[in-house]
Amino acid sequence: MKIRNFVLGALGLAAAAAAVTLVPMQHATAQGGNSDPAQTWDAFGGNQQAQKYSTATQITPDNVKGLKMAWEFHTGDVSSGAHSTTWGATPLFANNTVYTGTPKYNIFAVEPDTGKMKWKYSANGNNGDENQGLKNRGVAYWAAANPTAGACQKMVYIGTMTGELHGVDADSGKPCAGFGKNGVVDVNAWATKNSKWKIGLIQPPAVYKDTLILGWAGNDWVYKTENPGTVYGIDARTGALKWTFNIIPDDMMDQTGTANVWAGISVDPETGLAFLPTSSPSPNYYGGDRLKEMPYATATVAVNAETGEVKWARQLVHHDIWDVDINSAPTLVDIKKDGQVIPALIQANKMGLMVVLNRNTGEPVWPIVERAYPASDIAGEVASKTQPFVPYPEPLVAEHMPPVSKLADILSFGECSRWKARIRDEGRYTPPSVRGSISWPATLGGVEWGGGALDPTTNTYVVNSNLVPQIYTLVPRADADKKYGNALRARDGYAAQQGSAYGFKLENFLNMWGMPCWAPPYGIMSSYDMNSGKLLWRKPVGQVQKWGFYMPESWGSITIGAPAITKSGLVFIGASMDSRVRAIDVKTGNILWKHIVDAPAVAQPAVYTYKGKQYVAFAAGGNGILTPRLSDQLVAFALPN
Amino acid sequence: MTQRHSTRGAWLIMLASLITIAICVYDYYTPETGLIGTGGVITVAVAGALMLMASLTMGLVANRGCFLQGFLVVSILLDIIGSSVAGYFLESPVIMAAQALALIGWLINVIGDAAERSVEIDEVEDED
Repeated sequence: MKIRNFVLGALGLAAAAAAVTLVPMQHATAQGGNSDPAQTWDAFGGNQQAQKYSTATQITPDNVKGLKMAWEFHTGDVSSGAHSTTWGATPLFANNTVYTGTPKYNIFAVEPDTGKMKWKYSANGNNGDENQGLKNRGVAYWAAANPTAGACQKMVYIGTMTGELHGVDADSGKPCAGFGKNGVVDVNAWATKNSKWKIGLIQPPAVYKDTLILGWAGNDWVYKTENPGTVYGIDARTGALKWTFNIIPDDMMDQTGTANVWAGISVDPETGLAFLPTSSPSPNYYGGDRLKEMPYATATVAVNAETGEVKWARQLVHHDIWDVDINSAPTLVDIKKDGQVIPALIQANKMGLMVVLNRNTGEPVWPIVERAYPASDIAGEVASKTQPFVPYPEPLVAEHMPPVSKLADILSFGECSRWKARIRDEGRYTPPSVRGSISWPATLGGVEWGGGALDPTTNTYVVNSNLVPQIYTLVPRADADKKYGNALRARDGYAAQQGSAYGFKLENFLNMWGMPCWAPPYGIMSSYDMNSGKLLWRKPVGQVQKWGFYMPESWGSITIGAPAITKSGLVFIGASMDSRVRAIDVKTGNILWKHIVDAPAVAQPAVYTYKGKQYVAFAAGGNGILTPRLSDQLVAFALPN
Repeated sequence: MTQRHSTRGAWLIMLASLITIAICVYDYYTPETGLIGTGGVITVAVAGALMLMASLTMGLVANRGCFLQGFLVVSILLDIIGSSVAGYFLESPVIMAAQALALIGWLINVIGDAAERSVEIDEVEDED
């Protein structure tokens, strides 16, 4: 802290200059006409810069213990079983209303202080044609800069897993007739190349001026060729297609697919650049048919938000054969370093690396080095000889997985150590193999799709991340076909990768009792000073809960979801297996408050102020990866009057 | 061979087991507890039911054999220890408090039984 204060003090002039630039950044989020525009939450990432930051100061580290549930609202949109719901929505607060989308593709508008429903819109997306179950991460909000008379000058958008984007009037919930066809844009109609599924519009679009920037989710582990991961620029008023950006080169589209943008997108409101986190090409785990370089895949790509033209691209994983998609919207930050203000972005990723780039040029703020990694032993596969590595800021994940858990090993009569001894483990980027390879970190992160949160006044960045090895096994085609026939997926973790030489099996490294075979912690939260890059603190976050029993806090929990940060020095986060939401002291990492909600809150909370009162709202939807516990609870907390 | 054993404390154990069962039922069906539908609370509820049966036997059957007395004392103690540990990991202070209550009942019974044995021995010695 002393060092940080010294740096900040020494760079007072730069800080003052930065403050000038920060004001428009915060106010750029205000499109709802609220009395306190800086305390809205009108985008998935809190603002379009994905900072997940609120200027609200009513709830402080001193009084947060008094936080109580202000209201809860049950959408009714929850189901388990074959078509279970996965609800990772961040509620939006704009236009004096809380908006949320649900995994059964309804939009709910509720009163921000009571939780009473204002209106409901049904997108009727639940027609059984979903390709990944029933999933939703909420809605997007747009308001016309120069509104005209009539409806639909403020709109709310929801996507469906059947590839439809619906646009409704934010005041009434009625479909906007001028948007697409009676309020519906059939995005799926644009995605015809190698189409195997209807594309899934899980993630709400990013908004820049009058343009919606839309990615989508697909299946990149089922077929060799899939829909290529095109990103769409759409007119926010009319739904007309303004531009497309193809991540897969034209000459590779018959060899592969996806590399899509399924996570959030951030936008710099000053430069109009949109930052796209792109995923791995299909099939995820065997790249022998897609050896040619695809520089936009598994990368952060900056495009002009209004034209789709590429400004720069930085590939963060070469020839991805681990499914370590770049999976969260980069968080924008103005770094004060060496007497300068550097417009930057933070792309913490699944590999547990803290990539920090100049957002105007794509050049690294702290060096990215090419580090040698092991070769593949699979015929036809050529793993990249080197991968980008960021030694500083300190990585979130070490080069090698933790040792085998003695407790899990003893209780399983040595199962864990025997298993580990017979599979390939050469640390980070060990290629998948027929005998099985430890993937560390694996597809479960590192950092999951929520990303981190930034206080732009102090440039303190907090991020939760997972410490989870998984076992990647390639299954030769003949063996796969013999065992699984034409099945595309199986309960034992099998994915077909049809059309390629290998099927694939993903296993969790658990013993016969379901205990993790590696030493804890399983999930951590880290705090960085982004001016210096220094790690401020790192602590386990959340608790594992199995059969109701809570494991020690020192073990942490796998988390899916992200934090929100407030000017008053608090971090709010759900995300953990134990269905608790927490308030954490940003200075120390100590937990100051926690509360049980109906299911894990697998998205970042929204922090907003309405009629002078600060609220923290969570969608407690759950995610089957964490626990079977699912819910439809939207819940807000506030201090008592 | 049966002999008279203390019934004191059994009703306290019974009360503790009823509290345990009740809180488990509440936890199992209430989302706010974080334990809704979990196997952990079922396990503790079953342990509470076994404790209830054991304490009923202890309270109603004063004339019981040494084996039954030993079985009841040991099994109730193990039940209390197991439920306490489970309550700790379920982060349920009510379950842990109920086990503390049961432990008090158990101690009353064991001490009372020892005292009764002592009186009986004294009486036998006086008769000698």
